[in-house]
Amino acid sequence: MNRRSFLRSMAGCTCATLLPSTLFLGEYNAAAQDAVQGLDLAGKMRLADLAIAFAKTQGASYTDFRLCRYQTEYVEAREHRLEESSIGFSAGFNVRVLLDGTWGYAGSPLATDDEVRAAAARALEMARASRRLQTRPFVLEDIPAYRDRWDMPMGIDPFAIPTDDKIAKLLAINDAALKAGANYATASFAFVRDEKFFASSRGSAIEQTRVRILPDTEVTVIDKITGKFASCAGLAAPRGSGYDYLTSYDFIGEATRNAGLAREKLAAKPVEPGTYDLVLDPTNLWLTIHESVGHPTELDRALGWEANFAGTTFCTPDQLGKLQYGSDLMNIVADRTQEGGLSTVGYDDDGVRSTAFPIIQNGLFVNYQMAIGQAQLIGLKQSNGCAFADDWGSFPIQRMPNVSLQPNPQSCKLDDLIADVKHGLYIVGNGSWSIDQQRHNFQFGGQVFYEIRHGKLAGMVRDAAYQGITTEFWNSMDGLGDKSTYFLGGAPNCGKGQPEQTAPVSHGAVPARFRQVTVLNTERKGVA
Amino acid sequence: MILNEADARALSHKVLAFSKAEACLVSIGGGEGRHIRFAQNRATTSGAPSSLSMSVESHFGQRSGSASGTDLSDDGLTALVAASEDVALRAPENPELMPPLGAQTYPAGTNYAEATRRATPDQLAAAIAPVLAEAEAKQLQSSGFLQAEAGFSSFATNKGLFVYDLGTDVLQTITARTPDGTGSGWAGAAHVDFSKLDVAGLGSIAIDKAIRSQKPQALEPGKYTVLLEPSAVSDLVGILVAEEFDQRSADEGRNFATKKGGGSLVGQKIFGDNVTVYSDPADPIAPGSIYSDDGLPAQKTMWIENGVLRNLQCSRFWAQKSKRAPVPSPTTLTMVGGTTSTAEMIKQTRRGLLFTRFWYIREVDPQTVLLTGLTRDGVFLIEHGAIVRPVHNFRFNESPVAMLNNVRAIGPSVRTYGEEGAGIPVCMPPLLVEEFTLSSVSDAV
Repeated sequence: MNRRSFLRSMAGCTCATLLPSTLFLGEYNAAAQDAVQGLDLAGKMRLADLAIAFAKTQGASYTDFRLCRYQTEYVEAREHRLEESSIGFSAGFNVRVLLDGTWGYAGSPLATDDEVRAAAARALEMARASRRLQTRPFVLEDIPAYRDRWDMPMGIDPFAIPTDDKIAKLLAINDAALKAGANYATASFAFVRDEKFFASSRGSAIEQTRVRILPDTEVTVIDKITGKFASCAGLAAPRGSGYDYLTSYDFIGEATRNAGLAREKLAAKPVEPGTYDLVLDPTNLWLTIHESVGHPTELDRALGWEANFAGTTFCTPDQLGKLQYGSDLMNIVADRTQEGGLSTVGYDDDGVRSTAFPIIQNGLFVNYQMAIGQAQLIGLKQSNGCAFADDWGSFPIQRMPNVSLQPNPQSCKLDDLIADVKHGLYIVGNGSWSIDQQRHNFQFGGQVFYEIRHGKLAGMVRDAAYQGITTEFWNSMDGLGDKSTYFLGGAPNCGKGQPEQTAPVSHGAVPARFRQVTVLNTERKGVA
Repeated sequence: MILNEADARALSHKVLAFSKAEACLVSIGGGEGRHIRFAQNRATTSGAPSSLSMSVESHFGQRSGSASGTDLSDDGLTALVAASEDVALRAPENPELMPPLGAQTYPAGTNYAEATRRATPDQLAAAIAPVLAEAEAKQLQSSGFLQAEAGFSSFATNKGLFVYDLGTDVLQTITARTPDGTGSGWAGAAHVDFSKLDVAGLGSIAIDKAIRSQKPQALEPGKYTVLLEPSAVSDLVGILVAEEFDQRSADEGRNFATKKGGGSLVGQKIFGDNVTVYSDPADPIAPGSIYSDDGLPAQKTMWIENGVLRNLQCSRFWAQKSKRAPVPSPTTLTMVGGTTSTAEMIKQTRRGLLFTRFWYIREVDPQTVLLTGLTRDGVFLIEHGAIVRPVHNFRFNESPVAMLNNVRAIGPSVRTYGEEGAGIPVCMPPLLVEEFTLSSVSDAV
């Protein structure tokens, strides 16, 4: 997960992709019809045909055209006041060409005929210049052509809810935290609507719309005498859902509890470093899955295409079908059709229909995630639909689908997992997270840590983090919750690619037990 | 897309004329760039993106709201202003809202080079070609990214402020790997001027490190003397100053610079005598934007002077409340260099490690700015004044606050680039640091 984007998103999404909500349509809709919003399917197709026909005359063997419009709304409250209320939109298009097996692309916010031709020319110019560096031309597999429209199913459209209501909700959350003893409280909601049109020289023409909701809350308590402070973040995950997701979540109760938990952290005993059995709550485990399973099984990493930035992977193609990644209990599924998933979509940004497929089956590594032009490099036939571009101006690269740990088919609750631990820790929520560039050595924190003694929780401890090696860790898993314990977590800002792109992705998890994991005490002497 | 100053001013004034709010603030930004990405000695993606967007913020009394968009037609601008006003009128009063600034005096911008803006796709490809050729000749796999960008931003208020900044940036990063996957080397640099960047030279550094780093051996984790190359320093110092130096949170009791009993540690010596870090938008090596938060002029700001904490970033509201001058966030960052060369630092080291760069740095504890992360693409053991062999990567758990109290030697400060740092132009030296905490070994290459 990306750090800088994470900070930006937490700080207020001041990026240019913020946008206006349909809430205002009644007042300024007529004037707010930007060039993209005003285009019907025929108009979009006409622009796409311009780009595709022009590129073909210049020798391109493949061209695709994406026309996108992003709407966002962001509201943030700090204590009893509104810190920010902003809306925005960003619209533009991108032309991608394959010329003699070399990619080139260019985009523009001006969706006019002249600009489309100019962008296509720039894309061709980039591809033409790069041909001298092309030692092995890219070859694309056959992809079925689709003419379709896909709209994310959801309940209440978040952009139909008045901003005033959202602000009132945020202020009420902070008020509850402050009344419960927090010294400081922040709460924010971000809403995003993606509208994409994709057309390719293979004959596809696809329109899609999806919505994301990103809640974020945190409380902080301080001790002026000692100079110590502690925070506790809420556990509400970002989702591809309607506003009803927010109305059904007990933010007030959580804020009240978190103020108490933060105060308890200040007084908790420091963790003793050593080896522990861990029971990881799904609110913690989803991020471990993201970093230690999602990223290692990306084929572009295995092919070395991310070597200069995001890194490679220990899951090399010779390990496919052979590597015992984890214990028999471990089943990981990639699914871009999952309800509520941040990566859920009808078709990926290569125009490949989204699907679900196993990555780890009974502990065995069985599939990579792929975009077009990759499968044949490891002897496979076709992409499994994992391409994504984070903006109209970006190149689609292989990005993570929703990658989730499947529940135990046998009945197993959280208490059952804890009951079989003599000396361990139960970890809830995400803290810090870091993993090496081949996805082997990791360190994760948490929001709250509870000691387990003889099968029971024995009070909070603080300053803990767990370290491990990916395959050793997953092979040590010997307990798994059932479907009643399933939780869908996720990140809005997974970073990859150059120029760097951020992708939203969800991860389902159940509580799981891992044996004999290294735990650190992270406390250091301060300067105060 | 690049608007010149006159066009940006005219567009801003047009929007301000549409405004019915008591205060209106207009930001415009755009850019044009070209980049080539390569991996496994082949071109992967090459692009020429272009952007242009505007943000409008409206105030009615203590109410504010903003709207941003990419439609800059007259209809689009009218809608954008109306939207920002609608958002503002729906917002509750914010007692901390500050009125917009009037006209300010800005330093002249120095972060622009025509050669970068005019760099052609053919010039980029020609610059990369020798890197791929050398890698092929030495049977290595090279990957990298070369980007030349030009961008502008402007900021205007209905109280008379207008500022325009035009800048360019070139970024080149290269990773070379051995085919057996046991060796990896990296080099990277940023510059204002494309014509001054030695892409082939950077490629040779990465290739040399890849060859020398083959078949590393494991060392036990623990506390080590480490020689941090400038990129590694830029990550740690950049995170510390850009993200943790905050006056308000220090005063509120939730920052590493919070003083026991209340207040902050500004004015106190909390780093080593040999540490001085400042920002200067006119830095001759790493120039930055001429304006910062709320349109405040970017000025030379001392953050750490001979170990004394001199300034923390301070918003206009908090400055007014706490009776201080505002300190805007940095647009560039420089650590004052020394005269000890990297070769001399190696000679001075009885036993230590050389780190090329860091990866995946995250904060573990804000109380002490304890960070965790990993070394990457070139770790070497130094014994008795010489590099003796490559070793495996490490995970570190260390605070830059503690690190800057353990600096034994400082080299010349240079323009550098780190993937994990502050995201602004930086000028950093190599550092020889004692007692750096390495908590585990990573066998990743």
